[in-house]
Amino acid sequence: MNHQLRVYNDIFEMLPSEENPSPLVRINRLNPAPEFALYAKLEWMNPFGSVKDRAAWAMLRDLEERGELGNGRGLVEPTSGNTGISLAALARARGYHLRAVVPNKVPLEKKILLKIAGAELDVVSDELCPAPGLGDGSINLAKTHAKASSHRYVMPNQYENEKNVEAHLRTTGPEIWRQTEGRITHLFVSLGTCGTATGTARFLRGQNPRLKVIAVQPTEGHDVPGLRNLSQLDVSRLFDRSLIDDLLEIDYKLAYTRALELCQTEGLLAGPSSGLILEGARRILERDRAGLGVMIFSDNVFKYTANMVKHIPALAAGTQA
Amino acid sequence: MANYAHPEVLVETDWVKNNLGNPGIKLVEIDVDTKAYDAGHVPGAVGFNWQTQLQDPVRRDILTQDAFDKLVGGAGISPADTVVIYGDNNNWFAAYGFWLFKLYGHKDARLMNGGRVKWLNEADKPLTTERPNPTPVAYKAAAPNNALRALVPEVLEASRTGKCNLVDVRSPDEFTGRVIAPSGMSETAQRGGHIPGAKSIPWNTAVQPSGAFKTADELRAIYLEQKGVDPKKPAIAYCRIGERSSHTWFVLKYLLGFDQVKNYDGSWTEYGNLIGAPIEK
Repeated sequence: MNHQLRVYNDIFEMLPSEENPSPLVRINRLNPAPEFALYAKLEWMNPFGSVKDRAAWAMLRDLEERGELGNGRGLVEPTSGNTGISLAALARARGYHLRAVVPNKVPLEKKILLKIAGAELDVVSDELCPAPGLGDGSINLAKTHAKASSHRYVMPNQYENEKNVEAHLRTTGPEIWRQTEGRITHLFVSLGTCGTATGTARFLRGQNPRLKVIAVQPTEGHDVPGLRNLSQLDVSRLFDRSLIDDLLEIDYKLAYTRALELCQTEGLLAGPSSGLILEGARRILERDRAGLGVMIFSDNVFKYTANMVKHIPALAAGTQA
Repeated sequence: MANYAHPEVLVETDWVKNNLGNPGIKLVEIDVDTKAYDAGHVPGAVGFNWQTQLQDPVRRDILTQDAFDKLVGGAGISPADTVVIYGDNNNWFAAYGFWLFKLYGHKDARLMNGGRVKWLNEADKPLTTERPNPTPVAYKAAAPNNALRALVPEVLEASRTGKCNLVDVRSPDEFTGRVIAPSGMSETAQRGGHIPGAKSIPWNTAVQPSGAFKTADELRAIYLEQKGVDPKKPAIAYCRIGERSSHTWFVLKYLLGFDQVKNYDGSWTEYGNLIGAPIEK
């Protein structure tokens, strides 16, 4: 393994760590407060294309170490895509199978990617009629497989697995601390399983108790894959409200328009959840005026072309002869 | 149990676990998501498919008496057995199945409180993919008990006269006609809205976060006091295709003890397609 030359013996050596951090890139033209240095942490530079590489690897290693995998036993996981893609690729590269239980509304690109990465798909139609206690159809079906076919499946359960938090305590947090030379004042995150928010914030708060943590969430009824509105957050056991100073609810359509701006003015081909974070960061920058902020950009826009067109129909103009 | 009018029709997950393998107790799983049973079910439970087994394959109707005999007898269920039904989505289609068992005169049918979500989330409750192999028995259903089922003429009359409570258990957006059906549903209607005079009480008003039913006191407060359902009048519950309304039919008839309650299984997919039927939005 040589990070300098970027020569590796296998794909696992490329996974991010303090010695091999994902890049921080400064935002220039979309920064509304010049005294405030704003950086994006490009998680799509990880080997399987998203921030989820960190949690997937930590959960997989933990299961391996505990002897839970092998002899025909693989994984089952409810996933909106990124965790599944990382898990499937990692699992297959280590000789295990993965069954991914996916809500129907997940973009087709992600479903196909899951299959390409080697996952077996179970697609469930969620949100037939909102009900208390119903939970999430995909989580329930994955739990059913893990319980009824425990000889074939173990469920890492990213929504409850402390390894998801630990991954960020061990990698994302220390990376940011080192990359900013301890000068970070604001951390901007989105909320899904909350592993990234909780783990990274916990580490950085330990270094600097005055660090501000800002979480963005899309408005209710949103269409931003991978993210959760507060009303949907009860499925995650990893959410720690006490770490979060500001919880901003942002019109989810801005996720798409800001993502497009990132693509077209900063050269950052960021996905919609990054667009939502940028919008939240801009609001805080206008309020706080000075500091050093880091936004965690979970993935790039390549998986979301269909969603982008859905929310910015003008993108489709001129695409046919 | 929670002061219900007829507590004998509801069993808890612990009761089911303690009675696994008891030969007089037959378990039946009926889900909205027809894949769920195959993924894992309570040991010994048979699975009925609402799409292919609980309705007539040609006409739009419930399965015939003959078909019911074959289905239930084929599952090894005798008329004297206790049938415990459960399913996903807080027992939507399980309640529909329960309604069918009662309609065809089965004496001892029960629902498992909380359905498969509650069972799944309790660590001591096992699931299996193994299908039981029941020995078929002869089953003879009674003629359908029409006191449990509302058809269009009496629905129209209930709406016109106000002599019967009409309870619309769909989501608020379906009630107001903002949507005709929840997104992605293939069974739909030409028009949106609700039957004039109906009260909007979404089915999920009746359940707790665990998926189990609320207590009788809570249910009384909601249905009678807050929503104004008149216990002195008969009641008809409806939804889109008759499964969510079975859930509310169960609440009104067995938990609250209304004497005359009918499930309008034609529901909005019938009513919203009728030429000339009055609709409110």
